[in-house]
Amino acid sequence: MKTLSLTLALCALALPAVAQDTTPAALIAGYEAAAGAKADPAAGRDLFLANHTGGKPDTPSCTTCHTNDPTKPGQARTGKAIDPLAPSATPARFTDSAKVEKWFGRNCDSVLGRACTDAEKANLLAWLSSL
Amino acid sequence: MTEATTTQPTLTPVWDLGVRLFHWALALTVGLAALTGFLGEADTLRIHITAGLIAAALVIARIVWGFFGPTHARFADFLPDPAAIRAHLNGADARHLGHNPLGALMVFAMLAAVLVLAGTGLVILGGVLRLGPLAASFGPDAGFGARELHEMIAFCVVALIAAHLAGVVFESRRSRENLARAMLTGVKESRPGDVPVRETKAQLLMALLLIAALGASFLTANAALSHRPVPGLPVTQIDATTAAECGACHMAYPPSLLPAASWQALMAGLSDHFGEDASLPPATAAQIESWLTANAAETVQTLPARIFARTDAKAPFTLTETPAWKRIHGDLPEALFRAKPVASRANCAACHHDAATGRFSPFAIAIPKE
Repeated sequence: MKTLSLTLALCALALPAVAQDTTPAALIAGYEAAAGAKADPAAGRDLFLANHTGGKPDTPSCTTCHTNDPTKPGQARTGKAIDPLAPSATPARFTDSAKVEKWFGRNCDSVLGRACTDAEKANLLAWLSSL
Repeated sequence: MTEATTTQPTLTPVWDLGVRLFHWALALTVGLAALTGFLGEADTLRIHITAGLIAAALVIARIVWGFFGPTHARFADFLPDPAAIRAHLNGADARHLGHNPLGALMVFAMLAAVLVLAGTGLVILGGVLRLGPLAASFGPDAGFGARELHEMIAFCVVALIAAHLAGVVFESRRSRENLARAMLTGVKESRPGDVPVRETKAQLLMALLLIAALGASFLTANAALSHRPVPGLPVTQIDATTAAECGACHMAYPPSLLPAASWQALMAGLSDHFGEDASLPPATAAQIESWLTANAAETVQTLPARIFARTDAKAPFTLTETPAWKRIHGDLPEALFRAKPVASRANCAACHHDAATGRFSPFAIAIPKE
């Protein structure tokens, strides 16, 4: 259902699903349309910084790997550096819809133990893009 | 007064400069090779190999000198026959200015042992580390076999050195002279009744030419042999999809580090991949799996491929749980793996600068200081 609505949203934007196919603003608009609600950056920040219990024990929070400052690089549990999430620090962030969906899919499952809702995705992207 | 001349011992040259230089240089290089070989780790391997090769070169030069050197340098001067050995053991022979029959046996055994150590060492370097002139000729099986022999002979050399030192002490007391000092000064007291000596002149030019020719042929052979392509090495070109997907979170581990069955098990459990969801679209996962299994440990003849292929049954695809990994890294402090530049046992490349190639050469290790 969510995938379908997202696909529709992306189709509405008339963009092919390849790398560099979108912008943070377009993605937020797509998720907002799918959620039927305006993005709330403050809710995105709270979700990002909070500790969760539903996911895998090694990854209780987004900050486990991304740190609590998304304008700074993070570090995966493997030791590999992660480029900052904020598009202000990493301009290529949120310009590849498939990549964004892949990582939401993986990391929401790892941290929350479930998929993120379109509203949560809109909120997270809105907060990260505001930094 | 004639009294002074009779009490003054007649010193006669026995060990020429070549023999003395050889002796002490061999002692130094064999000592260094033994020290690094028995006690060293990866960081002293270069010294071990260098010392061993220099020792072998010294022995080859000594063999030439054994045919073209002066009187007591020549093998003919001290090549013992069984009767001479028996007489010496019974204490029935006269004093030898050069090597006595037992000392001579020690010399021949030592020369042979150093050459065999160098030879087996090169087979280990070629077969186990897949480096050096014999890398194309031998694989891990031959390399491991050579290592057994190398270790056995190394213990024999330690025994030879002990016997040699004991012999020098014993013989020095028996003949009331300092044999160790004679190997420094080159001179010994000549006494009436010594075993007669057949004086021979050294053919220095001939010896030097021969040593130069041998050296040149070894270097040429080494260059030619080292130039051959080495079979059974890990794949050098990492598949682009694998590099992108696996490399997103960690080093794209070389496929030769795990057997095919382990890769299949790993790819079947991506939704809980070392505590994280690393799911991939089925088509991408299938593509990566087929490349990993096609280049898995079974297809490669290297030390890492061989030792990490014996995985832990409870963690069939966790490299850091394999018995070999734990044994090799066992003496490293836990803090090293936790601290910032390394951060995780999975971060091979923090210390192994050739990790991405799957070679894991002992010469490419640099443990970060922090």
